[in-house]
Amino acid sequence: MRNTFHTLTVIGAALVLLAYGSSCRKIQIVTSTTTDVNIYSYLQQHADSFSQVTALIDKAGYGAFLNAYGTYTFFAPGNSAVKSYLASINKTIDQLQAADAQAILKLHLIQDTLNTNTFTDGKLPIPTMYGQYLITGVGNAHGTSLYTVNRQADITQPNIFCANGIIHVLDAVLKPATLSIAQFIAADPKYTIFTQALKETGFYDSLNIVNNPDTNRTYLTLLAQPDQTFIDSGYANYAALKARLSTTGNPRNPLDSLWLFVAYHILPKAQYLADIISAQSHTTLAPLEVVTSSYVPATQTALINDDIFNGVHEQGVVLDRNSSDNTATNGVVHNAQALITMRVRVPTPVYWDVADFPEIRKLPLYFRRQNYSFAADPTHTNIKTISWDATSNGAVVYTYTSSPSQNYYWGDYLVIGMSSTGNRPAWLQLTTPLIVKGKYNVWICYRTQKQSSSSNIQLQATFDGQSLTRTFSFTTGMPSGLSEGDAEALGWKAYTVPQSTNWCARLLGSVDVATTDVHTLYIQVLSGSNSTNNLDMIHFIPVNMNQVHPRFKNDGTLDYIN
Amino acid sequence: MNIGNGRLIRIVCLIGVLGTGSCKKWLDLKPQDGIVSTAFWKTKEEVAAEVIGCYSSLLAPPPSGNGSNDRSLTEYLFMWGELRGDMITLGPGASSEEVDVTNVNTLPTNSITRWTAAYRTINYCNTVIDYAPGVLKQDPTFTQASLNEYLAEVRSLRALMYFYLVRVFGDVPLKLTSTTADADLQQLPKTAQKDVLAQIVKDLSESEANAVTTFGDKVSDKGRITKYTISSIQADVYLWMDDYNDALTACNKVINSGKFGLIQGNGNWFTTLFYLGNSNEGIFEFQYAAPVNNPFYLMLESPSRRYLASGYVSTDVYNFDSNNPLNADIRGDGASLLFGDGTIWKYVGINSSTALLQGSYYTHWFVYRYADILLMKAEAEANLNNGADALSIINIIRTRANALPATALTPDPTDVNAVSDYILAERAREFAFEGKRWFDLLRFAKRNNYARLDILLDLVTRSVESDRQQSAIAKYKDFNSHYLPINAGEINSDPSLKQNPFYN
Repeated sequence: MRNTFHTLTVIGAALVLLAYGSSCRKIQIVTSTTTDVNIYSYLQQHADSFSQVTALIDKAGYGAFLNAYGTYTFFAPGNSAVKSYLASINKTIDQLQAADAQAILKLHLIQDTLNTNTFTDGKLPIPTMYGQYLITGVGNAHGTSLYTVNRQADITQPNIFCANGIIHVLDAVLKPATLSIAQFIAADPKYTIFTQALKETGFYDSLNIVNNPDTNRTYLTLLAQPDQTFIDSGYANYAALKARLSTTGNPRNPLDSLWLFVAYHILPKAQYLADIISAQSHTTLAPLEVVTSSYVPATQTALINDDIFNGVHEQGVVLDRNSSDNTATNGVVHNAQALITMRVRVPTPVYWDVADFPEIRKLPLYFRRQNYSFAADPTHTNIKTISWDATSNGAVVYTYTSSPSQNYYWGDYLVIGMSSTGNRPAWLQLTTPLIVKGKYNVWICYRTQKQSSSSNIQLQATFDGQSLTRTFSFTTGMPSGLSEGDAEALGWKAYTVPQSTNWCARLLGSVDVATTDVHTLYIQVLSGSNSTNNLDMIHFIPVNMNQVHPRFKNDGTLDYIN
Repeated sequence: MNIGNGRLIRIVCLIGVLGTGSCKKWLDLKPQDGIVSTAFWKTKEEVAAEVIGCYSSLLAPPPSGNGSNDRSLTEYLFMWGELRGDMITLGPGASSEEVDVTNVNTLPTNSITRWTAAYRTINYCNTVIDYAPGVLKQDPTFTQASLNEYLAEVRSLRALMYFYLVRVFGDVPLKLTSTTADADLQQLPKTAQKDVLAQIVKDLSESEANAVTTFGDKVSDKGRITKYTISSIQADVYLWMDDYNDALTACNKVINSGKFGLIQGNGNWFTTLFYLGNSNEGIFEFQYAAPVNNPFYLMLESPSRRYLASGYVSTDVYNFDSNNPLNADIRGDGASLLFGDGTIWKYVGINSSTALLQGSYYTHWFVYRYADILLMKAEAEANLNNGADALSIINIIRTRANALPATALTPDPTDVNAVSDYILAERAREFAFEGKRWFDLLRFAKRNNYARLDILLDLVTRSVESDRQQSAIAKYKDFNSHYLPINAGEINSDPSLKQNPFYN
């Protein structure tokens, strides 16, 4: 025991020496928060690739801010790119003015960090410091795919992360657009008729303003019509177009149809094809007129005004991908493959069956067969055109009945429990079908039903943010014993055949629909609670038309007589 | 105990010494909660335990903490196989990394490009390969024959892991020895895809002779690697290498064994094949069982789920009979997915309508099943210009599933492309969400020096956001973009690894 103990002591002492000898080294204290270099330092450190662009930065005096805290994206042209650019303008860096160097660099700088994951087929979300947007894409040559910028340069090395931003290395120097939209059109011989129309209507001048102080007009998008599209539509020259369209004889008059025709081709903001297909409709400079846009994945085409109106498909106009997306100093020019004309549409009633939408049509087992519950939906993605307050009981139930005694149009309707107290949705928002601009009466059509005899609910609807005058209640039916005329005067109608005071429609008021577009109807609970809110249809009927007929049947037919 | 004063002082000194002396080292290096290799690898039972450990590593990631925070291999296999395909769409819980992969925007910093889960299993297999032979000397009851059986299993499992890796990343480091100590750490460069494939073929053919045909119980037969599993992997590998004769031979070995068949397409089909698992149709399945859940509750069913079936699956892949809703493809609504809300149902359902309870997600991951063997055979036959045979196999699969006339094609049997398109479409229906879609699309596209690149370009119009499709199409024209980048973390820690082309 003793011996063992001594041995242990000796080993222990030896270990102490070893441990002291090996463990207590000098402590390395880190004094900087990061070892990442800033953009300018990175370029300096990689002089074999970037000595030229570094010299350009020095010339412009931008070294300081590119080496300071910030968030930048720098498209850095490599040495050979800068050299060939200088050769093309026949200058050396020494001969450049500081302002020239600044102008070149500004087009390569964005005040945000954008890695290649944010690149789309269109513009980058933020303009360069030069003021022009850059467009991105991917090109493939000899089996190798590279990101491209402005169709002028390839990115040879993407996503170099520096402490104050991201560098993408380019194989060519970017050149800014030099022509305004107006100049671009005028310079292209395929747009002679349209150019003349622009000039005569005065839009040539507004499309020629660069850095417009009106920020709504700083960037514009022109849907340009080549001469061939006019010829295809029977206008051999500008004179023929003017003879047909200029209703007042003065194309500069905003009431003149030619002025409106041209204005209809100009969209606010810089909208590349990728932006155009990302929204359903776009306002134009023609007051309250919109163009609609859509995308056909199978052919990858962007279409303008491809609509279904009153059940009829109207073929849209293709924006040619190869000859569109032209950057001008003040916006974008697209090339339309056919004539984009304003649709003259008179206000038409919309008898909107709210229980018919694409998501339920995709469910053949349920659509007009059986009930289907769309569950509480915090992300508002279950039904594209219907969103509702997400609460624990927040289901929208598509409901179908085949009973002949139930009058619902097509036998189907939506049941939406609603409440002001938070346990059920307090609001419901619906996107309408296309409504032609005009003045309409709004009727909400439902089957009245109380969850229990004491249930009561009051609601108010808002159309595009505009409150409708009359509140309504799913728990109150139409008073009985009224004549059709008296009922209408009091804001009631029976919307089904056979008529019933239970299947009733309530007039909420009239709305001015400003644009021919899809709109938003928002329904808010004012007070009370009821689970059996049976919403069948919503009618938008022009104020000067018959408000009572047609009536609707559960077999899906319309009745103009009974 | 009687300890004298002097001794006590010395003890106190010793304690002091041990307590303060070292900043890093300890007297005893043996872990308290584990077992070290010198104490292990003594008996055949330990070899068996280690082999089972290789299979266990397929199921769940190691416990998080200690710097380890990884997904399970199953989750990676699902993502690698489906994210770039056209069968899923992203749900409310999807991350921006998933959006990027879907849009063909994968950067090396994307964590979906981590390959650690596969290499972890490879290392377990390598450990058995390195250490199990030594047990022959330690344990006289351990025989050469049973050693060979174990080695066949782990070599094949390693081959399967490498087969996934080459299909996802292209060229990958080929590590064939174990890493059990710091000294074993090697900074390996990449090995070319064809050389990795050659190693896979070698491992599989060498293992085939020694592998067993049965372990004597169903769970082991479906959850461990048998001769038939090896033939199945071989068929898949040979098809990837465009070696149709060998693929056909491998398929026929499984078919002619008479040990497998298709589960009848009746009301119990879904429950038998998927929910219960280990059916007569199963060949190799990851054996999820209590207490190890598969990762699919959070991925597919929770309110913040990450994946839903793409809308096109119900309308185009399976279609429906609007005149008679009861006449349906059994693989569609209530099996692969719910047509109603797009839930990916294969790993969620007990039957066509009841979902599993959270915490009891034990549905297996299906690596190979008999239907796969049949369709792989059809693929080989089609490319060997036996189109008529291929079509009759497709019809067997379609008849079992009551596939609808709307999805039937009538290609000219001599038109290899048309027959191939039919096989590809049928594989989409049969193996929806089984982690095979992208590999199928790529295999068909790259055949004959990318003669069918159009398959991938066409895919983009269904899988990529509309404002990024042009970029995605141009990227897919660069064949290097079909493989994922090596994760930035791997590149940083191993200077001899070169990033995959296209991602530089």
